[in-house]
Amino acid sequence: MDFQLSPEDAAFQEEVRSWLQAHREQIDHTREVDWEAGGEAFERYRAWERILFEAGLAAIAWPTEYGGRGATLMQQALFTDEYVKAKAPDRINRLGLGLLGPTLMAFGSDAQKSEHLPRILRCDEIWCQGFSEPNAGSDLAALRTRAEVDGEDFVVNGQKIWTSLGRFGDWIFTLCRTDPAAPKHKGISFILIDMHSPGVEVRPLVQIDNSARFAEVFFTDVRVPRSNLVGPLNEGWKVAMTTLGFERGTGLGSPAVFNRIFDDVVALSVKEQRSGDPAIRRRVAQSYIETRMFELNNQRTLSKLAKGAQVGSEASLNKLYWSEMEARIEELALDVLGPRAELAPGSPDAERDGGWFGEYLYARASMIYAGTNEIQKNIIAQRVLGLPREA
Amino acid sequence: MDFDFSEEQYLLRDTVRDLLSKESSPAAVRAAWDSETGRSPQRWRKLGELGVLGLLVPEQFGGSGLSDVDMVLVLEETGRSVLPEPVLESAALAAPLLARAGSPSLQSEWLPKLASGQAVATVGLASQPYVTDATADLVILERDGEFHALTQDRVTLQPLKSVDGARRLFKVTAETGDDTLLGSSAQHGQWAFDHAAAATATQLVGIAGALLDRTVEYVKVREQFGHKVGSFQAVQHRLAEMLLQVESARSAVYYAAYALANDLPDASVAASVAKAAANDAERFANQNALQLHGGIGFTWEHDLHLWLKRGKALEWAYGDADFHRARVADWIYARN
Repeated sequence: MDFQLSPEDAAFQEEVRSWLQAHREQIDHTREVDWEAGGEAFERYRAWERILFEAGLAAIAWPTEYGGRGATLMQQALFTDEYVKAKAPDRINRLGLGLLGPTLMAFGSDAQKSEHLPRILRCDEIWCQGFSEPNAGSDLAALRTRAEVDGEDFVVNGQKIWTSLGRFGDWIFTLCRTDPAAPKHKGISFILIDMHSPGVEVRPLVQIDNSARFAEVFFTDVRVPRSNLVGPLNEGWKVAMTTLGFERGTGLGSPAVFNRIFDDVVALSVKEQRSGDPAIRRRVAQSYIETRMFELNNQRTLSKLAKGAQVGSEASLNKLYWSEMEARIEELALDVLGPRAELAPGSPDAERDGGWFGEYLYARASMIYAGTNEIQKNIIAQRVLGLPREA
Repeated sequence: MDFDFSEEQYLLRDTVRDLLSKESSPAAVRAAWDSETGRSPQRWRKLGELGVLGLLVPEQFGGSGLSDVDMVLVLEETGRSVLPEPVLESAALAAPLLARAGSPSLQSEWLPKLASGQAVATVGLASQPYVTDATADLVILERDGEFHALTQDRVTLQPLKSVDGARRLFKVTAETGDDTLLGSSAQHGQWAFDHAAAATATQLVGIAGALLDRTVEYVKVREQFGHKVGSFQAVQHRLAEMLLQVESARSAVYYAAYALANDLPDASVAASVAKAAANDAERFANQNALQLHGGIGFTWEHDLHLWLKRGKALEWAYGDADFHRARVADWIYARN
């Protein structure tokens, strides 16, 4: 047991830290700019992605043959840690870089890899994820969007929902039903769809905070070349499970993110003169304990992975932990604010222009997306603890 | 960075687990409940032969000169097997405290005997009203800002009775003097308390892990409504939450051991994180283990209560969860 970084890892950390410092000005170019505003705001973020690309830092996790750095998991964790601490910009192409890229490397054809991976890396293609449907949430395999073979094409009809980056997407990776007669997990295929194709319509989905960070995507007789099928026909479920493993694993819940939220809540409690309140102190301490354990859990997992262990269903433990922890920390922030927590954006007296309430709502979302926490508990019980499936 | 144990450390853990599965089986623990001393000299000697009791004793005194990181997996096993004997007090606290604070003559007199298992020691910190295993050959007491090393002729014991029949608690009055003085609380109090809290947290994780494992095994065989109860979602979700809490507390106690072993600046707060987390994880496992066992778990005959009662007893030892949360809060706001 040794928490000191190896000389190589320490050097890598220093390289990332000083690179980020040297690009302070470019980072600040996106400060207080919401890419969801679209247009020039969004292009600032794309410009930042190109800067990362030029520096060879767009996808350090990717193997060098695909333009990455083949960084170890430890180095990926160090990179994220420094990136978050530097308050560097949101990664607008995270679904392409984090989910589709690795999925293509595992299951994609050579043509798919050579067409898309470089374009993802350069941020020339923004990717969306098309899994959930109105009637296929937790029961994802109940999805109904159809892809029927017609000559050299699929013809796709149906609807996807909760599509992040929908307005900005160039491509969407989808799960479509290709064999309606087969048992529900067996008749699904993983298909890449160009969102600029005729018959694709994106509608903003106004959500609980009155913003539209998600979209609905409708497909009406959309023709998609059969060469856009990833993995074998009707075996998309297996491909999708690999993708979801990336989503639920270390990718989404970086300790640095929660450490930063925690530090902000501590500062808020001091500013609001609540730091003498024993009830607040107790909950602040509990939040520290939880963020610390999350970080330690991650370090334990990373150490096991570095020795060749495979992470599987344990990714569900990770997702369950951080999403519930985050919601508790955000609730604590609101309780620190007390009646001021109610004040909406634009109101006089609103702290962070009502932003704490918005963050709280997003934390609630994280208990639902990427597999609800109830689904995660099923996975943990059945695949980690070996309990029988529900009768 | 490597947050994992070495092959040797895991091997020692497995050897200890193997020994304790035989020597500290539920039947053996029940025998300790029923016997007058509650202790088995034979079991103690076997632990000594295995090297467990001298892990933290310097090599020159017949020990292995290892660290808290080596000890943490052993302590977890003592919790897992609800071992009656005071490995925590003697091997994890008294021995390293003597190695740290004792005079050369005290060290050469006691450390070899503690390492081999020929003698037992215990520790009574000022914050703790009762001393476990105060019948030990050597009793280290913290009183009025000083630590004293006392033999049985210098102490008077009033036995108490714990809900955990394997625990042996005493009120201790002592005849301290210059000849028994070991050192000051100012020098050693924090060290002793942090180590005691972290070690107790480790045992709690062992207990919580055992409660989880036993409950998982039970719900895999118990049937109601024609199905294994472990197939019901209400049962599965509780067990998934238990696993998450136990694994997270395990991370916290392993880190505390590392921070203490290396005397890191955050060692005290790491010990508090560990004790609060382990308390909460054990309490949650305790509640759910009994609930998921149903009626059978409420019987004297079923072994479950051996773990339930040890777990509850240790929740209050060396600071409960809220005490440690308060300590963590003090540390956070001292930085801000």
